[in-house]
Amino acid sequence: MYVYDSLDKTLLNQRVAEFRDQVKRRLDGDLTEDQFKPLRLMNGLYLQLHAYMLRVAIPYGTLSSDQMRKLAYIAKTYDRGYGHFTTRQNIQFNWIELSTAPDLLYDLSEVDLHAIQTSGNCIRNVTADPYAGAAADELDDPRIWSEVIRQWSTLHPEFSFLPRKFKIAVTGSKADRAAIKFHDIGLKIVRNNEGVLGFAVYVGGGQGRTPIVAPLIKSFLPAQDLLRYLDAVLRVYNRHGRRDNIYKARIKILVDSMGADSFAAEVAAEFDRLDPELLSVRDEDVSRLRDMFAQPFLRPDPDASSSLEDLVKKSPRLGLWFKSNTHPHKTPGYSIVTISLKPIGGIPGDATAEQMFAVADLADRFSLGEIRVTYTQNLILPHVRQADLFVLWQELERLNLATPNVGLASDIIACPGLDYCSLANARSIPISQRISDRFADLNAQHDVGPLDIRISGCINACGHHHAGHIGILGVDKKGEERYQLTLGGQGNGESEVGKIVGPGFDEDGIVDAVETVVSTYLTLRTKGEEFSQTLARTGQGPFKERLYDNR
Amino acid sequence: MTIVNTSGDAVEQGWRTVESVESSGPHHGIIVSPAILQDSFDESDSAALSQVGVRLTVDDDVSEIAAYVPHLGLIELVFAHFKDGRPYSAATTIRRDYKFTHELRASGDVLPDQAIFLIRSGFSSVDVPDQFTAQEFKKSLMAYSVAYQSAYDSHLSLIDELRRSTPDVAAE
Ligand code: HEM
Ligand code: SF4
Repeated sequence: MYVYDSLDKTLLNQRVAEFRDQVKRRLDGDLTEDQFKPLRLMNGLYLQLHAYMLRVAIPYGTLSSDQMRKLAYIAKTYDRGYGHFTTRQNIQFNWIELSTAPDLLYDLSEVDLHAIQTSGNCIRNVTADPYAGAAADELDDPRIWSEVIRQWSTLHPEFSFLPRKFKIAVTGSKADRAAIKFHDIGLKIVRNNEGVLGFAVYVGGGQGRTPIVAPLIKSFLPAQDLLRYLDAVLRVYNRHGRRDNIYKARIKILVDSMGADSFAAEVAAEFDRLDPELLSVRDEDVSRLRDMFAQPFLRPDPDASSSLEDLVKKSPRLGLWFKSNTHPHKTPGYSIVTISLKPIGGIPGDATAEQMFAVADLADRFSLGEIRVTYTQNLILPHVRQADLFVLWQELERLNLATPNVGLASDIIACPGLDYCSLANARSIPISQRISDRFADLNAQHDVGPLDIRISGCINACGHHHAGHIGILGVDKKGEERYQLTLGGQGNGESEVGKIVGPGFDEDGIVDAVETVVSTYLTLRTKGEEFSQTLARTGQGPFKERLYDNR
Repeated sequence: MTIVNTSGDAVEQGWRTVESVESSGPHHGIIVSPAILQDSFDESDSAALSQVGVRLTVDDDVSEIAAYVPHLGLIELVFAHFKDGRPYSAATTIRRDYKFTHELRASGDVLPDQAIFLIRSGFSSVDVPDQFTAQEFKKSLMAYSVAYQSAYDSHLSLIDELRRSTPDVAAE
């Protein structure tokens, strides 16, 4: 993992001191709320319905066990004993006092964590494939390049007051587990015909009011030119992005209105004007990072899987868990284990301080002290020996962290919605809890197969509802909470924007509607066909009929 | 009206804004709009232009006065709102593409907490808004001793040279 050196630490300490001073000036009345707002937002501090909310950056979704312990400590000390993992691989604390926020940031800085640029119109925390360094289909470790971008974008003098927030995601694998095409910039690591490492660059994706799958702007960018190219994209955006209407301020609108080709041409012209020397990513810097992210040697254990099969026979629940919550590791005899933060009827993404402490200990025992956070709001232990899986599973069961539902109906993504968020039209969390309860039978969920349900409390789409197989959007209809249903989105591997099925539902109606959609699929599917394949084959027609005809 | 330099120290103003120009000259330190600049001065008269500054708003396009830029004594970029970051990119362009080396001044709605971003983007002075003091800008400039990116004020950055040239870090 990346380890801060004295220079990283100096900058972080100075940041904490600066924020402490800003908070003091605000509390003393030297800064108005209007002047203080952009400063606190650049430190991840939002004012929400009930209290301040602090969003802590988890750099490209990677945590050490010590960092997880510190998050647990923060949850216990400054919050009400829990934290909420978000769809951007961050963690949010919902009950923060302004006066103690500087102490909180100081505590975080002791383990190299911070809240820098987790909000505001700047380059946000970079996200990456949560299987980085462990996946078999990986060309190169995306964390290396995410760290390069983290350093370059941190307190960037020119790009800290953009038209709107700016999100970058990186994947190094063929399978896109970071939803890169729904980001302002999506980077996919590729090799060209000569074997040179580089990136395919997608620009202008996003969700919110105008969901757009990012077009390809450059099919091959040599890796050493990464920062020079990003610099050019950001300058074109900073210059021309709209500032008159916040709903049209994201780069997706600029790319869409200019056309991807002319946008790419303008970026290319800016790129050519830049001094290649100043922004080039040098081999020696990359190898330094590469060494840091290289995992310790794992001894292959090719016999592990057969003894596992015996165990699975003894416990069907373990069998279900192994099927949905583990993924093959690149080293034979190891697994990537997903810790489900989606207990049946629970709040998606919430973890208690006790659970976080325990996960940290499990990471030390079973996964080289490493933990990942996924944008689907779960946690991952990336390097687990299959010989340890049984013991690990028992520990996770005890902690209520082994629900065998990853990728299934109750692995729901939900934004905070009206329970916390001042922009919400409707509640998201209670809807996801009721849907989860409705599908409580885990054997049945396994029978239904891969299903991606996502809920947002308003059109800002924090819950990524556009990209869910089944998307639910909270809308306000004459003061009443209503829910709109979309089908056919894809956010995992493929990127597709779902389509609205028909008129919205009330709270009871939407839960029934989801069940109707699933049962319709079960009657329509051919053998081995997954939900999204059936929907692609039949279209929305049969689903509409069942949803609306017998009303 | 207080002007601070790149160290955050208050300096002599030296320039005054005029709404019109007596054609006869000579002029000493006047700041004009782009329209007056184009109406009243010859773009090749570098001696006269060295005593002239131009004030650009966020909607003015510096390329329209491109031929004047290298000779001007001062360029002032006015921030319409502290959240509107276009002048940062304009500063980069003016310094890098137009090779402008004289005073580049930030004015309008800027916060002391942005001082370091301004200086690193290539501004060489700030017109301190009335509700703030020069001391506040100075304090903010001193908040950081390191930066990750190379920038106009310094090519030392954490990403490259600084890290390499700091022996204890290389050894870590
Ligand atoms: C609790 C208070 C929150 C507020 C007030 C809030 C506000 C917003 C707003 C205004 C947008 C739209 C921005 C735009 O499209 O330009 C947005 C988008 C988004 N937010 Fe949040 N958010 C909150 C919590 C969250 C949480 C908890 C998550 C993660 C679970 C999240 C993740 C996102 C994502 C992924 C987007 C979509 C970005 C895109 O358009 O590509 N937000 N949020
Ligand atoms: S989608 Fe809307 S309701 Fe949900 S967190 Fe985002 S802004 Fe709030």
